[in-house]
Amino acid sequence: MIKIKNLNKSFNGNRVMTDISAEFEPGKINLIIGRSGSGKTVLLKSIMGLHEVDDGEIWFEDVIFNKLDFVGRKEIRKEMGVLFQGSALFDSITVEQNVRFPLDMFTNKSPEEKIDRVNFCLNRVNIINANNLYPAELSGGMKKRVAIARAISLNPKYLFCDEPNSGLDPITAILIDELIKELTEEFSMTTIVNTHDMNSVMGIGEKIIFISDGVKCWEGSKDEILHSDCDLLNDFVFANALARKLRSEK
Amino acid sequence: MIRFLSQLGRYVLLLQKVFSKPEKASIYYRQTMQEMIYLGFNSIGIITIISFFMGAVITLQTAYNTENPIYPTYLIGLGCRDSIILEFSSSVAALILAGKVGSNIASEIGTMRVTEQIDALEMMGVNSASYLILPKIIATLLFNPLLTLISIIVGIIGGWISGTLAGVITSEDFIYGIQYAFVPYYITYSIIKTVFFAFIITSVSAFQGYYVDGGSLEVGRASTKAVVFSSVLILLFNVILTQLLLS
Repeated sequence: MIKIKNLNKSFNGNRVMTDISAEFEPGKINLIIGRSGSGKTVLLKSIMGLHEVDDGEIWFEDVIFNKLDFVGRKEIRKEMGVLFQGSALFDSITVEQNVRFPLDMFTNKSPEEKIDRVNFCLNRVNIINANNLYPAELSGGMKKRVAIARAISLNPKYLFCDEPNSGLDPITAILIDELIKELTEEFSMTTIVNTHDMNSVMGIGEKIIFISDGVKCWEGSKDEILHSDCDLLNDFVFANALARKLRSEK
Repeated sequence: MIRFLSQLGRYVLLLQKVFSKPEKASIYYRQTMQEMIYLGFNSIGIITIISFFMGAVITLQTAYNTENPIYPTYLIGLGCRDSIILEFSSSVAALILAGKVGSNIASEIGTMRVTEQIDALEMMGVNSASYLILPKIIATLLFNPLLTLISIIVGIIGGWISGTLAGVITSEDFIYGIQYAFVPYYITYSIIKTVFFAFIITSVSAFQGYYVDGGSLEVGRASTKAVVFSSVLILLFNVILTQLLLS
């Protein structure tokens, strides 16, 4: 369980996040949605500790994460897996070495055990016979899947995904969404996904938080999102022509 | 002034992070060995070529500017040797390495920053500054003195070949000249300077890359700044170290 309480964040005097509170439940996909520039990534990076909040509290179970020092945070970070928007695979090493990296860094497993774990993670995300390829040789979808494999290599309790299907075609995007959903349920992770893709929202959104201009405007499920009375949310949800048409027909 | 102090503060804080206890010594050892190849071994070629021709030019210029019957010709060899050991192989080679290695480090780390690879390291609980920068610093501190020695040897060979081929000095006189009044401390002096310059090149370039904010344009700017700031600091410390070590 991750809880955030009254988070505020400014950059050079410009407030980008105002008084945001929420709870993210384990074993569920928690979505943070909003327009580009609404503050989703700042919120996600603040929860992960990559940005320092001005005030407020970030709880991981019963620990206030943002009050911990570097060493304290490091212990919790070992339980986090992250899928970055651009995958953030290490360019200079192979797929296998990328997935193996956290195992090398933080475990005392034997080389055989590490390889077994790497192959398990890669198989789990349907990456076959690509162990010796470099990230530059992979497609966008493969990069995302390798990044997911790396994120789950240490069996994390928390999974953070920043726009996991940006830059992907709709079919690959759905595959990535489904993979995240399956892994979340399989490993009972607390998963937080940043997205502005309505396909993802309607596909995997179990708990959804809508943010606009750094303010939380709405919270609910994918079933409730179509019947909201929040104008800003409705503008966002029914932004495309097809959605508007379906709504008017309904 | 405030901006300068702020940057200096960030640089010191970065170094504090860099020199903290490594997560896993075996991984840092492996990284250091790789960096020795990338930053050190791969620089042997350019250092050899430049040292050879600089040695050649120093010998010819010394010869043509000291054409006087009062001066014995072996002084050409002596001039070549001392110029190379005292100044060229440490300072000029460091300026060349600031261009090659410095821009390489700044652009590599800068690209890792803008593509969120550094964030990924941090999120894994890895001290990214230490993991990325410490092996580079250790590798250059250990390998650059070797480059200096190679530069000295190749530079003198370049001088000997050009001097004898151009007919400005005989082979015997040149060899006598490079042995005449030899001060072994000059080698130590050159290596001490090299170690300082290696630290400047690596740490300043890594600092520029580590704090890149933006995209590819900013990475390019960081790379340029890395070369400019490293070069200026090398020149400044060259004066300070010369005064301290030779006075």
